[in-house]
Amino acid sequence: MTEAILEARHLRKEFGGLVAVADVSIVITRGTTHSIIGPNGAGKTTLFNLLNGKYHPTRGQVILNGEDITNTPVYRRVHKGMGRSFQITNIFPNLTVLENVRLAAQALGKSNYRFLRRADSFKTYIQRAEEALDIVGLAPMAYSPANVLPHGGKRKLELAIILAGDPEILLLDEPTAGMASEQVPELIETIGAIRRKGGKTIVMVEHNMNVVMNISDRITVMHQGEVLSEGRPDQISNDKTVQSVYLGELYDLPGRQQ
Amino acid sequence: MTPPRNSLMQTLRENWLPAAVMLFLILFPFIVGALTDSSPMGVARGDRMVMRGESVRWQSVLIEVFILGILAMSYNLIFGFTGVISFGHALFFGLGGYILGMFLEYTGMDTGLAMVLGVVVGVAAAGIVGLIVGFVSLRLRGVYFTIFTLAVAEMCYIFFSRWQVTNAEDGFTIGSLPAWLDPTQSRLNFYYIALALFAFTYLFIRRLVNSPTGAVFKAIRENEDRAQAVGFNTLNYKLISIALAGMLAASAGMLQVILNKKVGPEVLGVSYTVDPLLMTIIGGIGTFNGPILGSAGLHLLDVFFRDATITIGETSIQIANLWGLLLGSGFILVVIIFPLGIIGTWQRWRLKARGRIAKAARPDPSMNPKTEP
Ligand SMILES: Nc1ncnc2c1ncn2[C@@H]1O[C@H](COP(=O)(O)OP(=O)(O)OP(=O)(O)O)[C@@H](O)[C@H]1O
Ligand SMILES: [Mg+2]
Repeated sequence: MTEAILEARHLRKEFGGLVAVADVSIVITRGTTHSIIGPNGAGKTTLFNLLNGKYHPTRGQVILNGEDITNTPVYRRVHKGMGRSFQITNIFPNLTVLENVRLAAQALGKSNYRFLRRADSFKTYIQRAEEALDIVGLAPMAYSPANVLPHGGKRKLELAIILAGDPEILLLDEPTAGMASEQVPELIETIGAIRRKGGKTIVMVEHNMNVVMNISDRITVMHQGEVLSEGRPDQISNDKTVQSVYLGELYDLPGRQQ
Repeated sequence: MTPPRNSLMQTLRENWLPAAVMLFLILFPFIVGALTDSSPMGVARGDRMVMRGESVRWQSVLIEVFILGILAMSYNLIFGFTGVISFGHALFFGLGGYILGMFLEYTGMDTGLAMVLGVVVGVAAAGIVGLIVGFVSLRLRGVYFTIFTLAVAEMCYIFFSRWQVTNAEDGFTIGSLPAWLDPTQSRLNFYYIALALFAFTYLFIRRLVNSPTGAVFKAIRENEDRAQAVGFNTLNYKLISIALAGMLAASAGMLQVILNKKVGPEVLGVSYTVDPLLMTIIGGIGTFNGPILGSAGLHLLDVFFRDATITIGETSIQIANLWGLLLGSGFILVVIIFPLGIIGTWQRWRLKARGRIAKAARPDPSMNPKTEP
């Protein structure tokens, strides 16, 4: 169980003169939960955008299951088993909650180009969507338009969308961002359940240190576009440099408002 | 969780309005005929029929509504359901018209064969042009794509207004049409053919939009980045949408040139882009009935009032002089009162009202806005 599922090799991303990710190499081991932490602007979201293909790196490579996917478009990476959720809620606002999730299930199926049958006659996608909504606790809202959900509901929807795609590797960008603190444990428990079920690899950006220390097998600390340190949770919490740049200020803070 | 479908009664209950409208349109020539004491077949003159009389005149008006309706519905497929704004829709309309016209007048084939080939080639060509234009330009997002489509359509317009082969800006008349289709021999036949195509377009677009492919169209309209992030190759779907809309628009262009028995560069003119755009906005972007309401409303207003004269006391006002102004102000008013178009805003009100009732009565499992906004 030490096989790499996803690798970043010397990734760099510049926006004009700004270096968002300078030179990041990370190996994600199959079946583990790997957290990426770091202060605001460290380049965590940019790294995710490079991993999932939203941005093309200025330099470096992304390797998924031994295959170089640096030039593979976003949608094809999804079909290779990579799912992603967003820090800033990214849903289909005027479609129903169920339809948001059903689309993710449909995308991975074989019926996308069937245009003479009703979409709701393909029951497996609806079933998978309903299961995903059940898991995050949104089933009662299935037929509401997604944009009427409260913020916490939208965060749950983000998670349901990625679950419906049933990816091998989940990239979760601050799944609890902006949630009221009393809702956070429930969502984290959902992620914990996925992790305990096994078989999935989770890469997660998270600011809540309690959560990170409890749920992670491995932690990478980023700072100013570079990897500052990497190790098991106990190693990270004892690391002097990490403490000085990061943990010292943020430890014990609950989920930040986005 | 999903309500059961497919029972005939339910289908009828959900579709009583389109079904009633369809029935009315089928009977329409005879209703007008009975009301105005004119024959839907025209007036007999010797052994042939002359296309005169109120019923025949109204058939022409409705044929024009059907043509504009097909055009607006096809435009709504890309604009309203896929969220892609094209300013080049006239390209498909005119291309269909020109290709059919040239098959009929320039190939010297048997008329029936020329007709069939013209329709097949014209529709296919529109689809292929849609794919090419889309493939070249859809990588450009938003306004760049829109400008590109406008440029291509205008280029085509200029080309056909200069091309000597098709008589440049004069265009050419279509003399040879199969008798069963010729609107100067039987307006009624052509009325039913246009109605059939109109109904087909309506049903086809409903099917398509409610299918898995249509679900992706709407996802792209809502949030294209997200659609890619859940695994859809969005470029493919936008191409499908444009190609299908182009094919439908081409068939509307064919009806237009058959009705006029003439082809000229005006069928490529920018008004066949702007009209469906306005009709869709007024009726309701991304609704099934909106483009039909918009095109029927605008065209009928035009027919009724364009040449009317209003007399108030001593002064009489020629509406024709004010027509553009009236239409413009009317458009602005509609957009202010109905920001989502007439049908779209009405649906939103109804949803809201139902939402309030549902909130008052708490659990209401029947509230199901489906996927239609
Ligand atoms: N599309 C972009 N264009 C220009 N600059 C960008 C872009 N995306 C990110 N940046 C910049 O890159 C740097 C890293 O941003 P990024 O969003 O990756 O940080 P982060 O670690 O996710 O921060 P946070 O904890 O606030 O989410 C920031 O300075 C940001 O302003
Ligand atoms: Mg971020």
